Amino acid sequence: MTIARIVKPGLQTTVQDAGREGFRHLGVPRSGAADRMSLALANALVGNPWNAAALECTLKGPTLTFERPCVFALSGADMRASLKGKAVSNYARHEAKAGDELALGSAAVGARTYVAFAGGVAGDEFLGSISTYLPARLGGVRGRALRVKDALEIAGLETTAPVDMPASLRPVLAHDWVLRAVRGPDFEWFGGGAARAFFSAPFAADKRGDRMGLRLVGPPVAADGAASMKSGPVFPGTLQAPSDGAPFLLLADAQTAGGYPRIAQVIDADLHLAGQIRPGDRIWFREISTAEARDVAAKKQALIASFIPGFRLG
Amino acid sequence: MKTAFSIAAFGERGWLARFEGFPDDVASGLFANAVADRLRAGEGVTDAVAGVDSVALRFDPARLDADDARAMFEEAVKKTPRRRPAAVTKTIEIPVCYGGVYGSDFDSLCAHLNLDADELIGLHAQPRYRVITLGFAPGFAYLGGLDPRLDVPRLETPRAQVEAGSVGIAGAMAGVYSLASPGGWRIIGRTPISLFDAGAKSPFVLEPGAEIRFSPIPESEFQKRRKETR
Repeated sequence: MTIARIVKPGLQTTVQDAGREGFRHLGVPRSGAADRMSLALANALVGNPWNAAALECTLKGPTLTFERPCVFALSGADMRASLKGKAVSNYARHEAKAGDELALGSAAVGARTYVAFAGGVAGDEFLGSISTYLPARLGGVRGRALRVKDALEIAGLETTAPVDMPASLRPVLAHDWVLRAVRGPDFEWFGGGAARAFFSAPFAADKRGDRMGLRLVGPPVAADGAASMKSGPVFPGTLQAPSDGAPFLLLADAQTAGGYPRIAQVIDADLHLAGQIRPGDRIWFREISTAEARDVAAKKQALIASFIPGFRLG
Repeated sequence: MKTAFSIAAFGERGWLARFEGFPDDVASGLFANAVADRLRAGEGVTDAVAGVDSVALRFDPARLDADDARAMFEEAVKKTPRRRPAAVTKTIEIPVCYGGVYGSDFDSLCAHLNLDADELIGLHAQPRYRVITLGFAPGFAYLGGLDPRLDVPRLETPRAQVEAGSVGIAGAMAGVYSLASPGGWRIIGRTPISLFDAGAKSPFVLEPGAEIRFSPIPESEFQKRRKETR
């Protein structure tokens, strides 16, 4: 059922749910919301299952006109959205009538805004998910970002009573980020200097960033003999260091294998924040032990799942 | 054959096993795939992914304890037979237009390896390759069997965009980019055929164990086949 029509598509607006897990051995990335936490929060507000598909808007959001009445909610980066010219805030339920225009502007802090609609967004399904994976042109609206005049279809999922999550669970967006990470499986390949620099100096997010990963510029982080490494598995959150010394932080659309040494892995509890990093933002990686990371993940998972049944952090 | 393995943490809900002592990448890669296949159905396993000489196991900590996952992993590695890879599952011919606009690293590789164009094409198109594992992107296959004279390192800085169908070599391996994507392999040509189609009944053309042959084609043939596949 069409509930809205796209008037302006924004910079890169795609349909994303929690992604497709378990197909990496076929080379199929997970995809899904780059900021899973914000996806879950927007869905909870409109009574959707936490992993229902929503619109993921990047840096500059879309404008759309509703063709039917609809309940929606916004989360993540603040794109100064307005409904019929009146400001609408993130983290609240809003009701639109047929003919109302919802306009999102640009984010000044953070990179991605999620718009969830009661009933969930519909799209092309591939391997159990309708998340858009742009490089393979699959999922979402014909595998691509939204364009002018596209119809926004609703999946008609059953909704429950809305859940208003504590404000403390909302991602805190900024231009400086501290992401906790554990040592990666190839950490030993890096000399002491490079390893120390990695966990102490800030990196700047390069312009070369997308849903696949962020290129980070900072102190050179290169491993000895890296060029001869054999390709091995990588995941969202993996930090790979090519021999030019500028590491990549892999995100939701992370390729399934890579040939560059894996210096670190951002913990699941912090990975959703990486989906909000903009070009030019500064990032520090703080080392924690695997045992600590498991503890942090278990606590955060339990806390969120106490509000949103079935929620999975990673 | 005398082989060994080690297991290390890969993030808080993952383990990575690395293998040593296999005679070549095809042997280690197909062993890695067999281990991954064995693990994939396990309770609490979310991903089991083979690399060329490694396997990653990822689990859902709510359903599988980290130490139990490691024990399960160790057992799977020990139980998987280390024999030479079994018979070829299928043979696929991949036509390639070498050099020119389709092979951005072709000329520099010729110069670097001190080969003329025909020699480079011959060295690449001669061997029968085996699919070691799928990965990197949907439908991308790592191919073993490359002539050792073509063992070249990856690019220092990956390219932001490599065209779909690009045929590359790096680190003693051959591969074909199934999709346009960033990539660090040295590109020597391009195939007009498609290796991945999300809308098809079987989206993946290649599978681990399959045999691959590259056949050189002129640009006119490339253009013709390209039109046919579209």
